[in-house]
Amino acid sequence: MNRKIRFALSATLSATTVLVGIAWLGSCAAPPEEAQEPAPAPAAHPNSSSQPVIEDIDRIEFPRSPDVDSQPVRAVDEIWVIAKPDSEAGIPKEAALEEVAVSATYRNTKLLDSPAGVVSSELVNRTELPRSRATVAKVQSEAEDDAADPGSGAMVANVASEADDGGTHQVPLPLQHTAVDASVAGHIGTVNVRQQFTNPFDTKIEAVYLFPLPEKAAVTEFLMVIGERTIRGILREREEAEAIYHEARAQGYKASLLVQRRPNIFEQKVANIEPGNAIDVDITYFHALAYKDGWYSFVFPTVVGPRFNPPGRADPIPAMPRGGNTQAAGPTGVEYLKPTERSGHDLAITVQIDAGVSIEELKSTHEIDIERDGAASATVQLAHRKTVPNRDFVLDFRVAAEDVKSNLMTHRDPETGEGFFSLMVIPPLETETVARRPMEMVFVIDCSGSMSEWPLQQAKEAIRTALGRLNPNDTFQIIRFSDNASQFGAAPVPATEANLAAARRYLEGLTGAGGTWMIEGIKAALDFPHSPSRFRFVTFMTDGYIGNEGEILAEVHRRLGAARIFSFGVGTSVNRYLLERLAKEGRGVSAYLGLHDSAEEVMGSFFERVSHAALTDIEIDWGGMTVSETYPSRLPDLFVGRPLVVSGRFEGEPDVLTVSGTVDGTRRSLVVEARGQGAGPSVAKVWARSNIADLSDRQATAGDPHGKLGETILRVALQHQLVSNYTSFVAVDSSEPTKGQYGVTVHQAVPVPDGVRYDTTVE
Amino acid sequence: MKKLLATLALLSLFPGVAWAEEARSPRFVPLEVQLDSAEPVAAWQFELKDREAASKVVGIENGGHAAFRRAPYYDRAAVDRGETSRIVVADYSLAGADELPAGRFRLATLHLMVRGEPDFELRLVTATTPDGSAIDASISLAEPNPDPQERSP
Repeated sequence: MNRKIRFALSATLSATTVLVGIAWLGSCAAPPEEAQEPAPAPAAHPNSSSQPVIEDIDRIEFPRSPDVDSQPVRAVDEIWVIAKPDSEAGIPKEAALEEVAVSATYRNTKLLDSPAGVVSSELVNRTELPRSRATVAKVQSEAEDDAADPGSGAMVANVASEADDGGTHQVPLPLQHTAVDASVAGHIGTVNVRQQFTNPFDTKIEAVYLFPLPEKAAVTEFLMVIGERTIRGILREREEAEAIYHEARAQGYKASLLVQRRPNIFEQKVANIEPGNAIDVDITYFHALAYKDGWYSFVFPTVVGPRFNPPGRADPIPAMPRGGNTQAAGPTGVEYLKPTERSGHDLAITVQIDAGVSIEELKSTHEIDIERDGAASATVQLAHRKTVPNRDFVLDFRVAAEDVKSNLMTHRDPETGEGFFSLMVIPPLETETVARRPMEMVFVIDCSGSMSEWPLQQAKEAIRTALGRLNPNDTFQIIRFSDNASQFGAAPVPATEANLAAARRYLEGLTGAGGTWMIEGIKAALDFPHSPSRFRFVTFMTDGYIGNEGEILAEVHRRLGAARIFSFGVGTSVNRYLLERLAKEGRGVSAYLGLHDSAEEVMGSFFERVSHAALTDIEIDWGGMTVSETYPSRLPDLFVGRPLVVSGRFEGEPDVLTVSGTVDGTRRSLVVEARGQGAGPSVAKVWARSNIADLSDRQATAGDPHGKLGETILRVALQHQLVSNYTSFVAVDSSEPTKGQYGVTVHQAVPVPDGVRYDTTVE
Repeated sequence: MKKLLATLALLSLFPGVAWAEEARSPRFVPLEVQLDSAEPVAAWQFELKDREAASKVVGIENGGHAAFRRAPYYDRAAVDRGETSRIVVADYSLAGADELPAGRFRLATLHLMVRGEPDFELRLVTATTPDGSAIDASISLAEPNPDPQERSP
């Protein structure tokens, strides 16, 4: 429970108006450990010597008005409560909030000023208060008889230095709120993310935040917002952008920088945020939604999971406790809040869907409000505006399967005339009945510390389900890895009852601890002779919390052979980049198993699909189009319910194209008509993002980080204005430098993902 | 459409600033671009060149009029391989004619990082009315008020 400090109103209440003045330093929470220079001690308010001082105040509450309560005031160093009691006994117990007036001032600037004893949510809402700030005093308008409770007009401050009822306490951090506004048209999402940074300290800060975006996000716009002013960021070569940012930061100018650390991890820096001030950053990206079995998935990841970084790897992403970056040399790591800590950062998401076909069902990992605007459209919002960002937001919507047709969308750049296309091929449903070949199923299960307890239990349950679906003609193997790898049998064994029972016992004994040496699992899974009479399926069950993705993908590329890789993400905030790339490199597909999902259902459906390849050895006749630079460059097998999506450039006129492949030993083909001509520039952006991803994969496998592949990535990224490993956005406000040096670097600490243990994952 | 060529030495724009290379560090300076039009402006595009290639655009800020609240867009050639001596900036508004700006107003503020002495050449590529008709307008550079809240509309 928070300590409560109560200040009784003066006993000499006048018959008309009572003024209570309280000054405090609550907003001036001590900044984290210094990175560059020592922070001065919080300056005392001029009135503090003669007024009671409340320390570590973390929010202000107006108990009678939820609307007002949702607009907390932070960084307030003076509050005046003006009560208008109608008797000397104080404000009547049933008095409305309107009878209490509040005036809040910070650094001689009036933040909130109620006229003539009136406080209303309207007043607060139209007052330009920094949102989601953390400070507090509670205004009580009720008279209370209890001697322990002061009388009318009392002010109560909740002190955040001790754990509250939930066993947690709030720590001051710069990122207050993330607002996501997305619109989905067909299978392309356009997403705007606004990050609201404020300075809760009494010295200037630089905010640094490592955050995730979808692995296929094509980040194409970057704005820095300071009050009414919006400054568009400029995309430049990464080193140049970093140099500009550091120069502006050093000279005291407000500036921001967006750097890609991984295709799904970005680093945001905002320099020279003055005490009590706010700077927002807007990021816009395009995103192709995943589709399977009639369901589209919109995914917004909210937190980077704690990565294991094998020693000696370039550009690791360390996982460390809050404050850890100040002690570590080298690349920025992700700082995690302890289980007893929380930040004020919360999340709001709105998704507007125009599916183009009838939407039959919507579901989400989070509680949502749904407003249907028509058969094919819907607006979805997170039900709770202050959602804690500790697990992926996944919104699935099911469309009428018969309405989802294979289609070709094209776009021509109006300036250059270059053509871009996106082809989606839906396998014919009748291929579901194709008999499957005997399988050699290799389960590779991640038993590292981040998988301990719940994720590992889910993974085990999923494997048990798959084992139950094998038949005696199949063989299987189970390989576990953490600090090392070991396996169930010396070689894959037939799926007999005895072997399956032994495998279940083996599974039962697996526990989670240690690092994620996935490379050992890769070697163990792919380095043994393949039975030519069986399809080899290697299924990785992991959260993917590693920092050496490039090395893993290169190893898979080298060792894959005839195997297919199916990646199975287990957890609430898995590394989807790794899982998707594993599946792509392995010509397989991916699936995800969340906290509240039924492992039996998810694996059952997954197993049914992957064990029946609908089309193999796929070829495409492009009709009137001459295509180039198509991605994926190596076409995967086609599975029922899983579309094939190909993007590329073209010349000529799109008309009809033919996709053919082998089904059950015979060649089959299906025709796709060009229906989405003039689909818009997002087609070009999605192609460019695919191009960059493919080039990056080739870099990883070819070991060519600074050669021609890098040059090509840079050219494509600049041409299409996309953030990449070689390009970054920078924005500087040159209007007026702030005073003094740039102050303290504050790293935004985040919670460990839901279901992940802090003690087994954070270094 | 009249195209106005405005060549301005930065020294004359910012008399209080010594542009000689006093220090090795670059300077950051805002540069305000203003349009003067007798008719309401719905769309515009200008090109700014630095003939000395002494400056880099590091941010583009929205103008002062409510019809152009968002930050303007720029042409990607501005950043192509670091050759940053030229930039094309443009924006449009879907507001009605009575809500569009006329007279002298601020199109945008360019935030620059400067080394040495830039020599700017500003050209209005186009300015149009809501129906797409070209406007006879003039464009100029100005020194912004140091206080962003006090800048020209």
